[in-house]
Amino acid sequence: MKETKIKIKGLNCYYQQKMVLKGCRGAFEENAITTIIGPSGVGKTTFLMVLNRLYELIPNCRVEGKVEIKLNGRYLDIHSLPLPALRKKMGMVFQVPNPLPMSIFKNVAFPLRLSGVKDRKYIKEKVKEVLKDAILWDEVKDRLEDSALNLSGGQQQRLCIARAMITQPDVLLLDEPTSSLDIEAALKIEELLEGLKERCTLIIVSHYADFTRRISDNVLTLKDGRFRNHGNSS
Amino acid sequence: MRPSIEKFAEKGFLLSALLSASITIFIFSFMFLFSLPLFKGGHIAQFLRLGWNPYDGKFGVLPMMVGTVIIASFAILIATPFGIGCSALISVFSQRNFGRFLRKLVEFMTGIPTVVYSFVAIFLLVPLVREIFQKGTGMCVLTASIMLALLILPTIVLFLTDAFNSVPKSYLNAAEALGATPVQKLIYVIIPSAWKGIISGLVLAAGRAVGDTMISLMIAGNALQIPKGLSDAARTLTAHIALIIASDYESPEFKSIFVCGLILFVFTMLIVLVLRLLGYFEILRER
Amino acid sequence: MNRLTEHGITLFAWITGIIVIGAIGVLLSFLLYKGIPALNPSMIFGETRPLDALLLKKAVVDGLFPAIAGTILLIITSIIWAIPIGVASGIYLAEYCNVRWKPLFNFLLDVLAGIPSILVGLFGFAISIFLHRHLSEHIYPCFLISSLALACLVLPYIIRTTEQSLTNLPFSIKTTGLALGASRLQNILFILIPYNLSSIISGIILAIGRCAEDTAVIMLTGVVAMAGIPTSVFSQYEAIPFYIFYISSDYNSQQELMQGFGASIILLGICAFLFTLSNILKRKVAIRFATHT
Repeated sequence: MKETKIKIKGLNCYYQQKMVLKGCRGAFEENAITTIIGPSGVGKTTFLMVLNRLYELIPNCRVEGKVEIKLNGRYLDIHSLPLPALRKKMGMVFQVPNPLPMSIFKNVAFPLRLSGVKDRKYIKEKVKEVLKDAILWDEVKDRLEDSALNLSGGQQQRLCIARAMITQPDVLLLDEPTSSLDIEAALKIEELLEGLKERCTLIIVSHYADFTRRISDNVLTLKDGRFRNHGNSS
Repeated sequence: MRPSIEKFAEKGFLLSALLSASITIFIFSFMFLFSLPLFKGGHIAQFLRLGWNPYDGKFGVLPMMVGTVIIASFAILIATPFGIGCSALISVFSQRNFGRFLRKLVEFMTGIPTVVYSFVAIFLLVPLVREIFQKGTGMCVLTASIMLALLILPTIVLFLTDAFNSVPKSYLNAAEALGATPVQKLIYVIIPSAWKGIISGLVLAAGRAVGDTMISLMIAGNALQIPKGLSDAARTLTAHIALIIASDYESPEFKSIFVCGLILFVFTMLIVLVLRLLGYFEILRER
Repeated sequence: MNRLTEHGITLFAWITGIIVIGAIGVLLSFLLYKGIPALNPSMIFGETRPLDALLLKKAVVDGLFPAIAGTILLIITSIIWAIPIGVASGIYLAEYCNVRWKPLFNFLLDVLAGIPSILVGLFGFAISIFLHRHLSEHIYPCFLISSLALACLVLPYIIRTTEQSLTNLPFSIKTTGLALGASRLQNILFILIPYNLSSIISGIILAIGRCAEDTAVIMLTGVVAMAGIPTSVFSQYEAIPFYIFYISSDYNSQQELMQGFGASIILLGICAFLFTLSNILKRKVAIRFATHT
């Protein structure tokens, strides 16, 4: 049994007057794929947004409880970390791909630019590296300066994954990453996610039962504001 | 980015916002300050009375206030039916060709400077009105109201059109499915649903009508009297301010214009409050 | 409601539309009919040679050139004040403002937006009196005061468009940058503002149009009928809208009147162009948003 990367204890989340998460507890295994399933609207996306503190952008949304992430061997409360740093360690990929209105290269390199990295050679290498991990390099290597908005849905989603990976995050949060894609594109994404798990911990919210069975190490069901463990699904 | 740059930027943004908001406060303060000598002298009651005759020590701005109210009211009276008609045309009766052309024209009208309206009116409308009334110079309440109506029409039309278009599609579909004609949709569904937007548009237009200077300055005649009919010349508060500026600094009639300014400021505040009550600003922010 | 009333209402609507189009048509044709004959270089430069006038070698006394120059300089200086403060205020209100204070800010700015232009002019005038009494005897209403007052007039336009465009962004755009680890400022500068550039620029263009056409503010803060090109920010100056006003009440010859019509056409052309440009940009933005959740 591998180590725990993220520990959650007594997590309550209030959205407007409703309590979306109640006394939620959980442990997410390091370097493994954990999938969260559950009925529509139960709070799966909200949960992901708690992890990288994007919930703070939602009006009338409050959180209580403890969420800790293991960094450098120590468990740290996510609320004690500076936001930009936290989000570079916890990448997020959304349900609908959201490439920025820039070229493919600039999109993927964007997080490095935010960190103030100036070394052009380093940037070029890292972009190539993550695009290869995202199984997108061969398709775009000749048109890195084209607008990212011209890519197909599946390609855009792989671009977003590459972009999230460039800061070498410890955790990758994915909110129904394949639900807006066709089957072929979805399968490609599944393949690439499996390849990522040796480098980071993946937490995926998903609707599709097949998806969870195929690649997950652990499956959690979110119901009535809490997790119920289904154990290993392989 | 270094945290210090972040903090600095945030302070900079805050300062700008504070500066902008405080301009309003400054305007009020200056008007108040400059009016103070007149308040102290106990002349304030005099203001709301008749008779502007500096040589006699009379500074009543009542004629000007009446002038403003009458001209603005007539302008709204004229513009409202036209505004409703045009909006109905654009949103309901002719959503293709003619309506689209009309909308573009109205948008173009927002760009016509008031001084150009007045200038053309002097040579086109004034002689006409002079002919119709067979007396006076043609520069009177009627002329000013007509041009003012033309000026505020775009505000009314564009606002009403937006209000009509924001009626939920589900209501329109329901009416359509029940066999309603366009007119019935307009009267039974659209107007009742959009009444807040309609009133907001009219209030906004009223604000513009009261606040305009050039039209009343150039074609309303500027007479110091309470207008008793459409053919009478009149003076508005705004035109009055512009005219008095020409006299010298220390004279008491000079100080009276700041009271006029105060009146206009209070009027604006009232309009803003009414619009808030109507939820106008929520509508505007959603767009 | 019977058929007759229905037809009556429809007819009424059509009649209003036709009358409005007719009225504007008459207005424009009259303006063009009277003004186009006047449109020639001598209207702008008078008796001075164009090149001399443009290079400021000789003054133009009977042409529109000083007024045109005055208006252009006025627009430039006013928006130099208004743009930074306006955009920064809009950013603050959209991104940083505490919910408790927002209603107050909004109220004050809405009042500012609704204040009649003559009142803003009066404010500028009051400021010049204040400075005259307390700072220096030499300060009178002048170019500087006019441009500051005009900036106050158009500030609300810029603030409103900036703030609205930032708050109306779809949630996904607002969060993309942040999810990638951008700080608030980075998100604003690298993603939100570039994304909204069309809206913000359309607000600025609207402000420029307002500066070009306004007469009431400048009348009270330093514009005069004859001043030549302003030599310093403390000098008086000429402007196109004031010229039109002045000519209408005080023309000495048919030719001067024609110049008035010509000036009207120029002013109308400038303002119509700017307002149309602003609307086109706004529509472009609306289309782009239609494709986003």
